[in-house]
Order: sequence, then C-alpha cells, then structure tokens
Amino acid sequence: MSLAGYEFEVQRDDGLATEEMTLNMGPQHPSTHGVLRFVVKADGEIMRTALPDIGYLHRSIEKISEKVGYHGFMPYTDRVDYVSAMQCNQGWAMVCERAAGIEVPRRGEFCRVIACELGRIASHLLSVGTMVMDIGGMTPFTHAIREREKVNNLLEDLCGARLTFNYMRIGGVAWDLPPGYTEQVTAFLDQFEPLIDEYNDLISYNKIYVERLANVAAVSKEEAINYNLVGPNLRGCGFQYDVRRDEPYSIYPELDFEVPVGTGEVGTLGDCFDRYMVRIKELKESCKIVRQCLEMIPDGPVLARVAKKLKPPVGDAHVRVEASRGDMGWYVVSDGSEFPYRTKIRTGSFSAMSIVDKLSRGLMIADLIALIASLDVVAPEVDR
Amino acid sequence: MQSFIDGLIASGVFGGLPAEAIYPAMMFLFASIVVFGFVLPLVTITIWLERRVWSRIQSRVGPNRVGPQGVLQGLADGVKNILKEDVVPDAADRPLFVFAPYLLVWGFLATFVVIPFSSALVIADLNVGILYIVAIVALSAVGVLMAGWASNNKWSLLGGIRSAAQVVSYEIPAGLALLPVVLLTGTLSTQGIIQAQGWAPWDWFLFHSPFTFIAAFAFYISALAETNRTPFDIPEAESELVAGFATEYSGFRFALFFLAEWGSLYVTGAIMAVLFLGGWQIPTGWTNNTVVLNIAQLTVFFLKAYFWVFLAMWIRATLPRIRVDQMMSLCWKYLVPLGFVNLVGTAVWMVIWPEGNTFVPYLMVVGTLALLVIFFRRVLYHLRRAKPELYFNPAI
Amino acid sequence: MASSIGQYLKHAKDAAATIFEGMSVTMSHFVRKPYTIQYPDRTAVRVQDTLPLRYRGILEVDLEICTGCLACERACPIDCIVIDAPKDKVTRAMLLSRFDIDIAKCMYCGLCSEVCPTGSIHHTTEFEGADYSLESMIRRFVKDPVLAYKAKKGEETDPLIAPILDRGMEFLAEWAEPVDMKKYKKDQEEAAS
Repeated sequence: MSLAGYEFEVQRDDGLATEEMTLNMGPQHPSTHGVLRFVVKADGEIMRTALPDIGYLHRSIEKISEKVGYHGFMPYTDRVDYVSAMQCNQGWAMVCERAAGIEVPRRGEFCRVIACELGRIASHLLSVGTMVMDIGGMTPFTHAIREREKVNNLLEDLCGARLTFNYMRIGGVAWDLPPGYTEQVTAFLDQFEPLIDEYNDLISYNKIYVERLANVAAVSKEEAINYNLVGPNLRGCGFQYDVRRDEPYSIYPELDFEVPVGTGEVGTLGDCFDRYMVRIKELKESCKIVRQCLEMIPDGPVLARVAKKLKPPVGDAHVRVEASRGDMGWYVVSDGSEFPYRTKIRTGSFSAMSIVDKLSRGLMIADLIALIASLDVVAPEVDR
Repeated sequence: MQSFIDGLIASGVFGGLPAEAIYPAMMFLFASIVVFGFVLPLVTITIWLERRVWSRIQSRVGPNRVGPQGVLQGLADGVKNILKEDVVPDAADRPLFVFAPYLLVWGFLATFVVIPFSSALVIADLNVGILYIVAIVALSAVGVLMAGWASNNKWSLLGGIRSAAQVVSYEIPAGLALLPVVLLTGTLSTQGIIQAQGWAPWDWFLFHSPFTFIAAFAFYISALAETNRTPFDIPEAESELVAGFATEYSGFRFALFFLAEWGSLYVTGAIMAVLFLGGWQIPTGWTNNTVVLNIAQLTVFFLKAYFWVFLAMWIRATLPRIRVDQMMSLCWKYLVPLGFVNLVGTAVWMVIWPEGNTFVPYLMVVGTLALLVIFFRRVLYHLRRAKPELYFNPAI
Repeated sequence: MASSIGQYLKHAKDAAATIFEGMSVTMSHFVRKPYTIQYPDRTAVRVQDTLPLRYRGILEVDLEICTGCLACERACPIDCIVIDAPKDKVTRAMLLSRFDIDIAKCMYCGLCSEVCPTGSIHHTTEFEGADYSLESMIRRFVKDPVLAYKAKKGEETDPLIAPILDRGMEFLAEWAEPVDMKKYKKDQEEAAS
C-alpha cells in the first residue's frame, strides 16, 4: 500500500497544531550506504521531503588526474566507485586509448570483459544483499556477501587485490589470466547460478519483502529519462537501454546477452521491486557473458606498448561504459602534455540522487531506506 | 506456594517467627531464585544460542571462544555492559530515562508469578492467571514509550511511539486468540488449563479443532509483535531508526533491554506451551516419586516452551521487517477478524461436540506430520540444488 | 465481500507459502559448512601463504638487485617512494644512500613493481601493517649506503645474488609483457599468409 500522492496540507478542523519534524538521516546512519546525509522533513512517519546532502566523500578525484598523468591516474579510478572498480578502470583506459589512438590486443579486451563482468556480479551481489538488510533481513545479506567473497577471491587471483583492482592499463590489462583460471571461474559459476534461484526462494518472492517493495517509489519511463536515471534504475522502469548493447564497446557486440527490464510483476512498473529484480536478472546475464568470454578467448598478448609518458594529441575524447550503477561517462581534454587538461566523470549514482527528493514525498521513513537501497547509490560515486 | 509455606510454618522450620515476616521473606527468596537461578542463565544461554543459530544459517561460525563453544558469551557481554559507563544524555528527562528499563524488566519478570514449571512448581496459581499475564505484559509498552520519550532523541521517540502503537494494537488479537482455550476449559488459571489437556498431542488444544490450531498461530504472531521480534522489530529497526528506543542507552541499562527482550521470548514460549501444547503433562503411572515426576514435567515443559523460542530465532533469521502501516493493517484487518472467527467457531464447535470431536484431533496430528514431511523434502531439495559442503557437527 | 474474503485468503496463502519456502532454505543451512574462517589463530595454513604470487601486499625491496634506475619513484602516483642514488665521487659507481617507502601513504597499486627491471621492488603477501606511529610506517630499506646492482651480460654468476634475482624475475613474470601492436599485427598477417 503506497501512500504516494498523500496531501500534506491537511486542514485540521479541530485546530490541533502539529509540528513538522526535521530528521537528520546521516551522515552516520546504518543504511545510507556510506557517508550520505538526508534532511528529512517528516509528519510523524510520513515524509514531506528528503533532501540529499552530498559531498561528505568528495576527494576531488577529477582534479587529481591533472596532477598525476594518464598512467598514474589508473589507481585513482578504483576509488571513483569502489564497489565496481573494474568498470571505472575500463572507462579511464578506454578514454585514454581513444584520445591517443591506441589499439588494444584482442585477448586484452576479453580479459577486460571477464574482469568487468565478475566485478558486476560482485557489485550487484552487494547491492541486492544490502537491500535486503535495509529491509530487515539479515541472512540473505550474508549469503550474498559469501558469494561476493568468492568473486573477490577470483579477482584476487587475477590481479592481486580484492577491492581496488588497478587491473587495467592504457593499452590492455596488466596481468594475463593465471593458469587454470578458466576452470576456477567455471567452477564458481556452476555453483553460483543455482544459488541465485535459492536466493529468490529465500527472499525475493517473500510476501513481506514483496509488500515492502511493491508500488513503493515507482518511476515512470519519462520521469526516469527526465531525471537522467541510468543503468538498472532506468531499466527497472521498463526502458531497455544498455550501453553494452546500444552503444557497443570492447567485444560486447560479439557476445550474446539479454538486457533485462522491469516488468512490474508484483506492483507498478518501475517500483523498488523492479529495480531490485533487474539486478538479480543481470547477475545471470553476467554469468552468461563470462562463460562466453572464457570459451571465445583467443591466445596472444594482453597489453600494447604505450609510451611511459603518454602525450595524447591536443583534443578531447569521451567514452561511455556500462558500469554496475549504469552509464558512466568519461571525458578527458588533452593539451598535448603528459597531464590531462581536464577530466570529467559522470556517474549514475549522482543523477540518481536528484530524484530522491521527488520520489520521497509522501513515502514513509521506512520506504526511504528501501528507495535509497533500490537506487543503489554508493556515496563515493556520488561525490567522487 | 502459600500452602507450601504454611506447611513449613506448621512443621516449625522457622521457630516462632511471626507469619507476617515469613511471607514477604519467602516471596523475596523465591523471586531471587527465579531471577538469578532461572531467568538470568536462561537469557544468557538464549542470546548465545540465538547467535549460534543465526551464524549457522548465515554460513558463519558465531561466538565460540568464551567457555565451551562460547556458551559463556552472554556472561562476558553482561560483565562488559555492567562495567561500561552509564551515560545519561544531558537533555534527557533523567528520572524517566533511568526508570524506563526497570519498568520494562519488571513487566516481563512479573509474568513468572503465574507461569508454571511443573505440576507443583508454580509461584502462585492465580485464578485469573492468563488475564494477569495479558495485563502485566502491557507494562513493557509503557517502559519502551518512556525510554523513547525520555531519551530526547528523534529516533528514540519514533521507536517509542511505534512500540506503543504496536503493543496496544496486538494486545487485542492476542487476547482474542486466548479466548478459545478459555472457552474450552472455563478457567483462566494456568494450572487449570494444563490439567484440562493430556500428554498426547491429540489431547492438546493445538489439535483440538482447526479453530484452536489457527488461534495458536495467531497468538504466536501477536506475541512476536508484542515482544518486538522480527518481523515486527520496527520499534528498534536498526536500518531505519538506528537502534530505536535504545539509541541513547548504554551500559547496564542497555543490558536490561536485552534481558527483557530475550526473557519475554521465553515467556511467550511458556504461554504457548501452557495454552496449546499441554504444558507439563506427561504420561503418568510410571513413577510414584514426586521429585522425579516434577523434574520430568519441568523438562517437558521447558522443551515445549523452548521450541517456540527456537522458532522465533529461526524466523528472525529468515524474514525481513514489515512496515509500520502494514503492521497495523495485519493486526486490524487480518488478525482481529481471524480472532473473532476463531472465537465463534470454537463456540459452535463446543455446541456440536460438547465432549470434543474424537476424530479431528488425530486427523490434525497426521496433517501436521504430513506438513513436516513436505517441509523436509523441500529442505533436501535445496540441499541437492546448491550442492554445498555438508557439516553436521553442531560444534565448531 | 466475497472478493475481499478471497483477497484475504490469497494474501494469507501467499504469506504462508513464501515463508514456508524461505524457512526451508534457512533450515537447509543448518547442515552446511560455514564459509568463514577463524582468522588469525584457527586456520590450517597462514592466510598469507594461501595468497597468489601477484597479491599486492606491503612493498618490499631487495637492495641486492636494485639498479637505482628510479623508475619506481617516477611511476608512483603519490610519491611514497623516496630514493637517493648519488654517484660515488671516486669510483663513479652509483650508490644507494636512501630507499624509503611510506607504507602509510602507499595505495598498493602496483605501478612501481610493474616498471622495475629486475623485480627488486615487489609486493609481498604480507598485509598486516598496523603500527602505533606514522613514523614507524616508513620502511627505510637502506641502513648503510650500498652499491647499486649492475645488470651483467648473460647469466648472473654470483651465488649470493643469483637466487634473489631469480625470485625477482619470478615476480616480473607475473606481469603481462607489452607488445608493439604494429609489429605484432604485421607478424600475425605474415603468419596467416
């Protein structure tokens, strides 16, 4: 039962004066997913507005790029969105390659896609896990985190780090797949795919869970486009758009995968449950992509030789990658020196924050938690 | 209990002390025995067991360092909590803030007055026992509301208000769910209700008729809500309200909240056992020794009560939390009508079969067993699908 | 009336069925092995020994094979490596008088070990770096100034240095070898024709 559309300017005939309550949710709150702050104006349990206050995690990453050069900026891209660092790596590598006209070996592209999709599995697992935890279920969260640990182990074998991978380089990837990696990943996928179904049995279609998410904070297609939602949030509204398919890069055109969209199966199209379900379905699609890549991967080098002091010609370049939180834009301006003149990163979480105020009106405080979790905002990605 | 003390006085154990001094002293003694000999160990063990049950369900190890298999973890946590600084916020309403946890604990400890342990062990077999429990449990709502208000914190206030709304609402379906049993026995005394049942499952009120079966679960759901357990833990919903009414509490007072929460879990189980599972009833005739008989009854009663405690742990590990308006609609739109249907249904049942139907209880026991079989088949199905590494040892 | 009773029953049935299913899943976990390990004292092997060779733990420098080329210092994006390598005035040989790594600053990106020609600076599998002061986080590898290593033509013959160099090469072998794409493509075309 959604209370959206509830009118606040209630004229009380009895003249009883009520006070609007201002609640500070965050920056330290268990379920704001990092240091985010929401200034909630509430009438009892029902919110009038929830204004996001961002900037607590601002590290001026874009400015840093102007000081450390093209190669040196790669580890910093891990910190743009540390939950899915692989795609950020790829975005920076691709934009530099486009600016400098560098070609990547084919095996390198496959390594990138394998790593990215494993990273997407890890990111979505964290997202659906914390979503359930915010709704109050503890067990599904630990089950999701358990599987995420297995992905992290795989990525650790691949690049030696579990969170800030720094796996990719301009011109390819820094490490080839280790020996026996195909079998390792396949073994993981074989045991992981049934667990998605188990996860659905455990929580996704649980009556309480469905009731908490269905019809809550539904976003229409037009609204989603107007507010610039991207990625799973946009697809949750039933709009089939995926950069991997519609503006293909790397080897994605050769791969066979589907773009899941929200169907409104338990409530309104574009509600929290649809956004959640899109992520669950994308887990399966990512498994499919990794399997295909492992089958198709050719032999050969993974890294092209690039000048130590990369000096792209004067000009600019822009690429878009489909990160776990949606379309991530990377823009770099080169003035011909070894440092970028300007870098701009456009992230999905940032634009998702803009719709929180609109959606939160008339929801209950408990629904705000579900809304933030379903938008899958990650504080470092909002602030950069 | 009074007859027991009277017996002691008559036998001259106390010499020539006046009876007016002996009664309060004995009351104090028995209260201390119940609190320190039963409730405190029970709560620490229950908290430990809950954490272990959770950890197994969540593929974790759980507390296993303090004492054998971590069983003394609760003791360690308790000592730590008592040693911690007892912070009272500056802006708090100090008297209320200090008093609230005691009210909460008092509300649940007072229920032990009428909860029997065996046929002989009961502090007072009040003739209004069940009514007394329903009344005294509502004290905890006052405690929580007081804690939420006195903290002078918006999150606490929301938690307190939510709790007040919740407990007051769920008193009604809980009371309605008790009534079929009261109708059947014609008494409110806990011992009287147990004596009206038998040791065998088909003599329990749980399987007496479909209406009492549903009433049992309606009561259990209401009791979970009254004790603020998942899926009704909205007063302290940690992902929404930080820690709800307990946000500003620390040290010993915080531990008291825990004591009350897990203690009332056992109270819930005990009431379930009294009303629907035949209490301490065991097959008679195999021993004439009163002590042995009472120990056997105590064990049976404890196991029956603890089954519901375990179920609450298991439910908490499975279900998410419901929203506050859904909690209300579940109460008023689902459980209250169900309570009336059960009440009327039981009354009609009693008119048709004044001595109870002889066939339906057996059918219901068989049906429940069939449900259990289906359940374990599902468990096996999940195990076969996930192909996990099996580990049957409860100890880690 | 009838529809609302139907809805009532449907909701009750849905709730009972899904909770039943969920509880069967959680029940099945009672007989599954826990996934977590009891770090650090109850693991079969030290965790550090289970990590892959390319694991990026705390940095370590083998001074015996450090050539003093300063490639790592230049590659480091946060300047956490400081090297002083003056030329000896008499012998004209390169001396290493200072090789400091500030572990508190280091972000374990691996760019320094990637460019090292001998594998002298490399990541270990050690990750427990907690300490009580910032000063003690600075690892000073040079105690007394030492001569920089000079790569020899052919095999390394010094029995003291050869095993260290071999180990360094092992670390280096983990990294991908960059190829000249133009040349690689030409070779591929030739091979195809």
